[in-house]
Amino acid sequence: MDTVLKIDNLTKHYGRITAVKNLSLEVKRGNVFGILGPNGSGKTTTLGILLDVINKTSGTFSWFGQPPGKEVRKKIGAILETPIFYPYLSAVKNLEIVAEIKGAPKENIDLVLQKVELYERRFDKFRTYSLGMKQRLSIASALLCDPEVMILDEPTNGLDPQGIAEIRELIKQIAKEGKTIILASHLLDEVQKVCTHFCVLKRGTLLYTGSVEDVNKGVESVEVMSEAPETQEVLETYNKATKVVEDSGKFVVTLVEGTHASDLNAYLFSKGITVSHLLTQRKSLEKQFLELLAESDNA
Amino acid sequence: MLRLLRIDLKKLTNYRAFWVLNIMYGLLIFSIPVSVMEFLKWLKVKGAEFEGFDPMRIPVLHFPDIWQNITYVYTFLKIFLAIVVIISISNEYSYKTIRQNIIDGMSRVDFIKSKLFTILLLSLGSTLFVFITGLLTGIIYTPDLSFTDIFMGIEFVPAYFLDLFTYMVFAFLLTVLLKRSALTIFILLLYTPIEYAISAYIPESFAFIAEYFPLHAINNLIEFPFAKYWFQEIQDFVSMSAVGVVLLYLVLFIYAIHYKLKTSDL
Repeated sequence: MDTVLKIDNLTKHYGRITAVKNLSLEVKRGNVFGILGPNGSGKTTTLGILLDVINKTSGTFSWFGQPPGKEVRKKIGAILETPIFYPYLSAVKNLEIVAEIKGAPKENIDLVLQKVELYERRFDKFRTYSLGMKQRLSIASALLCDPEVMILDEPTNGLDPQGIAEIRELIKQIAKEGKTIILASHLLDEVQKVCTHFCVLKRGTLLYTGSVEDVNKGVESVEVMSEAPETQEVLETYNKATKVVEDSGKFVVTLVEGTHASDLNAYLFSKGITVSHLLTQRKSLEKQFLELLAESDNA
Repeated sequence: MLRLLRIDLKKLTNYRAFWVLNIMYGLLIFSIPVSVMEFLKWLKVKGAEFEGFDPMRIPVLHFPDIWQNITYVYTFLKIFLAIVVIISISNEYSYKTIRQNIIDGMSRVDFIKSKLFTILLLSLGSTLFVFITGLLTGIIYTPDLSFTDIFMGIEFVPAYFLDLFTYMVFAFLLTVLLKRSALTIFILLLYTPIEYAISAYIPESFAFIAEYFPLHAINNLIEFPFAKYWFQEIQDFVSMSAVGVVLLYLVLFIYAIHYKLKTSDL
């Protein structure tokens, strides 16, 4: 797998504030890479530097192994923060300008508009669009040059549930075509649903980087409910349980690594207990995220 | 180069204010010589006392006077074109499209170039329009064309072009510094009186410095011509030192625009 983006020790100061601090990252081809962080953690600043609209204070980065420059940017489809277009121009006219800047063929305009389902409204002025349509137009614009990399910054921000679902579906579809996607978000759920890899930023510092799959591995917790009165006793004697906590009629059992809910179920059945409720609690990205943030606070 | 101009024109030609301002500007250029002649005719009809002199014979719109006269008057209209430039650039800031243009693959220099090409086109267009208007008006009103050199004093036309171009680049610089259109137009309008007020307070022995202020320098390209009609000495040529000073300012303005854009976060 080759490297699409490599960042080395990137730093940005705004006066006395450090927005990005010694950030080093690598994104490989085909990754759907999530940049997670609370608001104000330096996500947009980082992307702004990578796209040359914000001047870095120090550090380096390279796209496709090349130093940054306008030719590199023409191969990237990117949206930062909100969709930005000329409000008095139609979707087609706006995309013509983008195509002209990127040197992309004009024939792509109709194709991308169809893809994001704006073809019917293509001659309407941008300012008449709903927020969801604006977001979709910016994705169309990012797709215009058939980019090798797409950068999306909070693409579902401010959308209703249906709009969010549509955009996510679109991102997944694009990822399936093998494109590299860099997605900044403060929504953990979003990153977990669409990303393959992610990193966590806080106040400009990198806290963690790794694959989403790894988060789903590791120790499992299982929620158990049963009519049998001796349940708690039996659970506590299970040698593969490290912890049993009662929580409003349910028991949350933490298992040792490599043991799963099915093992627990078999054990309980062998002790003559049948369960009415059995649920594996995935250790969610949210938990991991909050843990990371908490750790960094203690540090 | 053409690609950058095409991009900027695509942004402008669908913008209504662009057409409104340009059409108003064109109408004004066209109507000034007409109304001047109507005014002189009116004077004649009213029988104004000119000690037996026919006001229609004042050679305001005759060759060769016409070139300096009309270019001098028309430079007062350049504010219309400057407003077009200010709106075009401040829009890029308020819509944040300057940022998106660069994300999409323009360099900052490309952006500056595309705006400068538009300014070039506007000043060339206006110069051509003024040239044609001057030529037609001169041909219509000059009593005897066979005795006159039509193109005498034509150097005021390129001087007019330089005047417009530099003024619009100055407006470009102000917009890049101030970013908001209303504020920039306001400052641009105030700038000329401010500069003249300052120059009034300069001690006599240093008075020549005022001539090197940017708008003084631009205005020195085409000197006030009408004093000759009350028999005063005027400068009826384009001074090369004025051209030199203006060119120097032009370079300075463009450098300042480049420096400002290069160092700012968009």
